[in-house]
Amino acid sequence: MEFLSYSIMITVENVTKNYGQLTAVDNVSFTVDRNEIVGFVGPNGAGKSTMLKMLSTYIYPTAGTISVAGADVVTKPLAVRRNIGYLAGDTPLYREMQVDEFLRFIAKARGLAGSELTTHYERTVDLCGIGSVLAQRIAQCSTGFRQRIGLASALIHDPPVLLLDEPTHGFDPLQVIAFREMLGNLKAGRAILFSTHIVPDVEAISDRVLIIHQGKLLGDGTIVELGSESGVPGATLEEIFAYRVRTSEEKINRE
Amino acid sequence: MNNQASDAIQPLKSGFGRSIFVVIHRELGAYFDSPIAYIYTTVFLVLSGAIFMNSFFLSSVADMSPYFETLPFLLIPFIPAITMRTWSEEHAQNTFELIMTLPLQTIQFVLGKYSAALLFYIIVLAGSTPIVVMLIWLGNPDLGLIFSSYIGAFFLGALFLSFGLFVSGLTQNQIVSFVLGTLIGFGFVLSGHEKVVEVIDGLSPEWQLGSWIYRSISVMPHYEEFTRGVLGLDDLLYFLLMSGFFLWMNEITLKRSKY
Repeated sequence: MEFLSYSIMITVENVTKNYGQLTAVDNVSFTVDRNEIVGFVGPNGAGKSTMLKMLSTYIYPTAGTISVAGADVVTKPLAVRRNIGYLAGDTPLYREMQVDEFLRFIAKARGLAGSELTTHYERTVDLCGIGSVLAQRIAQCSTGFRQRIGLASALIHDPPVLLLDEPTHGFDPLQVIAFREMLGNLKAGRAILFSTHIVPDVEAISDRVLIIHQGKLLGDGTIVELGSESGVPGATLEEIFAYRVRTSEEKINRE
Repeated sequence: MNNQASDAIQPLKSGFGRSIFVVIHRELGAYFDSPIAYIYTTVFLVLSGAIFMNSFFLSSVADMSPYFETLPFLLIPFIPAITMRTWSEEHAQNTFELIMTLPLQTIQFVLGKYSAALLFYIIVLAGSTPIVVMLIWLGNPDLGLIFSSYIGAFFLGALFLSFGLFVSGLTQNQIVSFVLGTLIGFGFVLSGHEKVVEVIDGLSPEWQLGSWIYRSISVMPHYEEFTRGVLGLDDLLYFLLMSGFFLWMNEITLKRSKY
């Protein structure tokens, strides 16, 4: 498999997404490497989910190109989907299904069968800590458990690229800590891109940060790098974010 | 446990058919999990059985034709009630995004959902077999005619399911999906009735629109061939092409949402 030699697992080049008159993502470019956790940070409606939807092949970009694990999202969407684990925003799940039934459906749809399915299934159930709810209907599970079930469905085929949209949504503080540890353990060999508007999540686990606001990418680097570039070395991500947004808006007003 | 990403991430092992089977399995499970499906099925069986028994007692002939004559009218509300949730619910619950990012083609989901609905319909249709047993017991029915009528009923249901699935893909509102499906069903069935053809012809005598719709689009002339005991290739082609057309339209409209 050609992509296994790649170090860059996600390449986004000059990507724009328009919904009619609205530009949700505006000429964005970035890359995500293997063995890297990248936090995609911005307020609600900034374009984070739209970007992840494009990376997952759910929607196509209006302009620009996106390559995931060496495959183009528009021309080779199935190749992309085989290599990603995607947790969509709001964690879509078949609520009427039992957890066990749902995970097996996802695994089979991903081509797993027999002993391989069992191995992947047991590993994922263990990793996500959902052994106690397997016989329950998803509708009866708490928000935190539903989020973990969503994560399990994204991880069951052991993908080299993880795309997680607001993965800590609905978690209590202890679950957030456990999730951060889990993501750290999953980092080896993978490219992980997760979106959030919760700054401490990004500070705690990201190797790199992408700042997005009103569809535009306002920063790409480590928190230290972004602080230095912004002329506020040692600043927190919140301060950097506020500075970048202010600068961007001033620039737009000047133009 | 080693959480390192496997360097042997599996390519899609499943063939085209196997993936469709995975979808069929889930969809059938959803049908039988829902109490609504049992209610619809019971109402359909009781209604179709009662209407048949009424005409059977009046005519006292071991003939199943009245059942198949009534069937198109009963399918008009019944099939959209079955198909209305198929895609609408996926849109409403946002699971459309979940399945459209799995490594399956859109057409595999369309065919999987369609096959599951078809299997469910066959099970419902099989609920009428006690009528056949009763007729054999009481008299000497034309079994060849009953067989060809069942083939016709199968294709009729297959066509209704295909446009039911199509309209379900257009909206996340199940009621809208039901109403659209019922209207299309009415169009397909009523355009095959003499009086409706005459009225439409009367509206535009030079175009003879009613007759044209009857010959080209209406389901009735084709279905009635089966219920007369004729298994014609052109009737078979009509059902295959019409059902195929709606499934293809279903795939196109689902893919359109990517842009």
